[in-house]
Amino acid sequence: MVEKQHETSTQRPDYVLEVKNLKQYFPIKAGLMQRVVGYVKAVDGISFAIERGKTMGLVGESGCGKTTVGKTILRLNQKTSGEVIFNGKEIFSLDKNELRSLRPKMQIIFQDPYSSLSPRLPVSEIIGEAVKEHSIVPDSEYDNHLDHIMKSCGLEPYHKDRYPHEFSGGQRQRICIARALALNPDFVVCDEPVSALDVSIQAQIINLLKDLQDKFSLTYLFISHDLSVVEHISDNVGVMYLGDLVEYGSKIHIFKNPLHPYTQALLSAAPVPDPSAKMNRIILEGSIPSPANPPAGCKFHTRCREVMEICKSVPPQVREVEPGHKVVCHLYN
Amino acid sequence: MIDNEKINPDVEKEVVPAGGPGEEMHLDDARRVKVLSPGMLVFKRFIRNRLAVIGLIILLVMFIFSFFGPFLSTYGQTQVFKGIGSMSKEYASAIYNEELRYSISEGETFGSAERAQFLLAVGKNTDTFTYKDAIYYFTTEGEGVYRILQLDPVAEVLLGIYKPMAGGTVADDLKAAYESAVKKEQKSFNLNGITYRITPKNKAAIISTEHDVALAMLSVYDAYNQANDSTVASYAFKLASSRAIAQEKAAFSVGSQLFTVRYDEGQATVLDSTDKEFAEVSNIIVRALDQSAFLSVDFKSAIRQSINDRLTKFTYTDENGQSVDYTIVRVNKTYNIKRETPTELIRTFEEPSAEHFLGLDNNGMDVMTRLMYGGRVSLLVGFVVIFIEVAIGVVIGGISGYFGGWVDTGLMRFVDLFNSIPFYPMVLIFGSVMDALEVDPMVRIFLLMAVLGLLGWTGVARIVRGQILSLREQDFMVATEATGIRTSRRIFRHLVPNVMPLLIVQATAGLGGIIITEATLGFLGLGIKYPLASWGSIINVASDSFVMTNYWFMWIPAGMLILLTVLGFNFVGDGLRDAYDPKMKR
Repeated sequence: MVEKQHETSTQRPDYVLEVKNLKQYFPIKAGLMQRVVGYVKAVDGISFAIERGKTMGLVGESGCGKTTVGKTILRLNQKTSGEVIFNGKEIFSLDKNELRSLRPKMQIIFQDPYSSLSPRLPVSEIIGEAVKEHSIVPDSEYDNHLDHIMKSCGLEPYHKDRYPHEFSGGQRQRICIARALALNPDFVVCDEPVSALDVSIQAQIINLLKDLQDKFSLTYLFISHDLSVVEHISDNVGVMYLGDLVEYGSKIHIFKNPLHPYTQALLSAAPVPDPSAKMNRIILEGSIPSPANPPAGCKFHTRCREVMEICKSVPPQVREVEPGHKVVCHLYN
Repeated sequence: MIDNEKINPDVEKEVVPAGGPGEEMHLDDARRVKVLSPGMLVFKRFIRNRLAVIGLIILLVMFIFSFFGPFLSTYGQTQVFKGIGSMSKEYASAIYNEELRYSISEGETFGSAERAQFLLAVGKNTDTFTYKDAIYYFTTEGEGVYRILQLDPVAEVLLGIYKPMAGGTVADDLKAAYESAVKKEQKSFNLNGITYRITPKNKAAIISTEHDVALAMLSVYDAYNQANDSTVASYAFKLASSRAIAQEKAAFSVGSQLFTVRYDEGQATVLDSTDKEFAEVSNIIVRALDQSAFLSVDFKSAIRQSINDRLTKFTYTDENGQSVDYTIVRVNKTYNIKRETPTELIRTFEEPSAEHFLGLDNNGMDVMTRLMYGGRVSLLVGFVVIFIEVAIGVVIGGISGYFGGWVDTGLMRFVDLFNSIPFYPMVLIFGSVMDALEVDPMVRIFLLMAVLGLLGWTGVARIVRGQILSLREQDFMVATEATGIRTSRRIFRHLVPNVMPLLIVQATAGLGGIIITEATLGFLGLGIKYPLASWGSIINVASDSFVMTNYWFMWIPAGMLILLTVLGFNFVGDGLRDAYDPKMKR
């Protein structure tokens, strides 16, 4: 769908991650023999690239495949097809040992800070376990490294001996961040890292993530359904609908000039912290169709307010409407 | 998953000096809160559960009782306690003689065929009978005394013609005597000191002499002095004495010896010329039950006397002056004479005493000591079996849960297969196989453990598998993959510690069940075999309703021990489950 067209005139940017036509289908098994009767097309061919030190926001409503993209990029799922090139290496072509040595460079922060920490390990082990495993720092510097990371993430050294149950949600999320950052990664998938937290803590964590990005020159894939958070943190934004990336562009493009009707609907639904502000809501009818049985043509046509005849039968192609701003919609043909 | 200590106001606070002096601490400073590991937290929660602590104390007492008790007990597990007790033992029997006894004259025969003919004749009320060519004649000397004579034919008389039997001629004086006897209708006549008898044979009559063959009588003779046995047994003595007694004569003579008779009720005593007791005549036969024992005539006489007097007990003082009490028990026609005999007895079912706190059991073993040793077996079986179950269960369940897919499907069908083995029939068969092979009781314990373990691991496997399946999908397990932790560490450092609480709870609660199972098998006689004890096999004696109703100390203590132990394990299991439950705050 969205094909990255490399600029030949300018120098090729330094991409940490390139995703090309990634597909992730989950088989639906049924019956006594566990026969495959169909596929859930969680990710149905998406492409994007993230420059070093930048943050890409990935938005979309629940069940559109955002988290699957994040996990598949890290090879926590097996892809169906496509390519994921990380630091110039196709990660699905790596063997077990190569993959293991690459692991520290790409990390993930989970949505739920409660289930993502093993309840029976002390914080020092949760954070430091993989550091030792991969010998990220020499043994002599191990303690300093840990203290440094914990401090960077807003944790105190005396928290080391504590167990996850002794922390609040925000502190737990800091532990998760510390675990990811202790490995000196280049790239971090932030899988809705703040959606389980209350708003004041969300701000702390978002700011922490931004600070750390500067400090450690990190690249983020920031998955969220909260547009204001994405607007705050991202450089580029991708909008996903039912496994497809329907619009991709810089933050300015997406938030000031949304082209796709779905993006427009999403933005209009975002609450504005001003009670007197006039809202021009676009109400989407119905709910998201099943990814196991997506509609023909444009997948959004069942809910689109500007639906045309062509939308129902012909899948739209990627169009770069302005430089770096791509959309997949028949309206712009 | 709540910050326990923070919202828990009554947790002891400990000020952790951090950040150097002069730094001010606030009441809500996180550093003020004492840090507890999950294990300590669990322990703390457990200790606060009163029921669990009671359970723990019960279990401790049981362990001390079972594993240290035997060292303190002065008795052995299989030590049998015996004591000297008086026991009424059958000593002799007496019976009224109803069968004719035969004394056969020297040099004669009177076999069973002849005896049968004789009895027929007695029954038909005739006084002669024949067997083969011989003709016999008998006279009734008195009640139950018959003298049997054999006739030796001399001649046959048919219509006045005398036909000698042995050839030759018939003497004239014999003819004359015969004819006169016929005229007088006599059946016998005397000639020259020889008695002749006339017996009819068809139309002829036979004249014959006679000689003694046998004596048939109901009386039995006992000689007072063993030296006189032969005399007493002799035909002449018996003939003379029985004739005299039958006619109630006061005296009789055998050869040159003179005897007098003293009559008592039911018996007669023959005294010799010096008035000493010579023989005893009676129709009661007294026999010692023990063939080797010799019963003196005096003793026999005393028994006869008592039987005749219808007494049920008597005291006999023997020649050494020892008085022994005897009881007579009549069973149909037999009188059993029982003697109180001092015997070494096993002290079975002895009531509790200071010496044996819980008495003695049906084998005369100390119940308390056996309960201690039985506890060892019961608890050991419980622990070993649960260990086997958990070991197999964790491996199978762990593999199944961690790897999933077809490995999981295969292993779970294997578990289903094991689950469909009927437990009790299997154990019954196993028990009888071991009975048939006469397996050593000690080996049997271990085999039993193995069988119980092999039949019981499926529950643990399912639980472990379920737990691991759910843990595997947790984000922290995904995180270990994302951070590139190696598989072994993921299993042993992340999965196993999280399965452990469930396992501990499962195992503790399962222990009670296994002890019950072991007790059930012991009660059914399939478990631990005598002489080794287990609590279940101790209760086994209560399957006899007499023991159950009369000897409470045989089964109530063992039952209470099982009850308390299982209760203890259940309390502790419940306590652990609650303590491990993160939703429990304290």
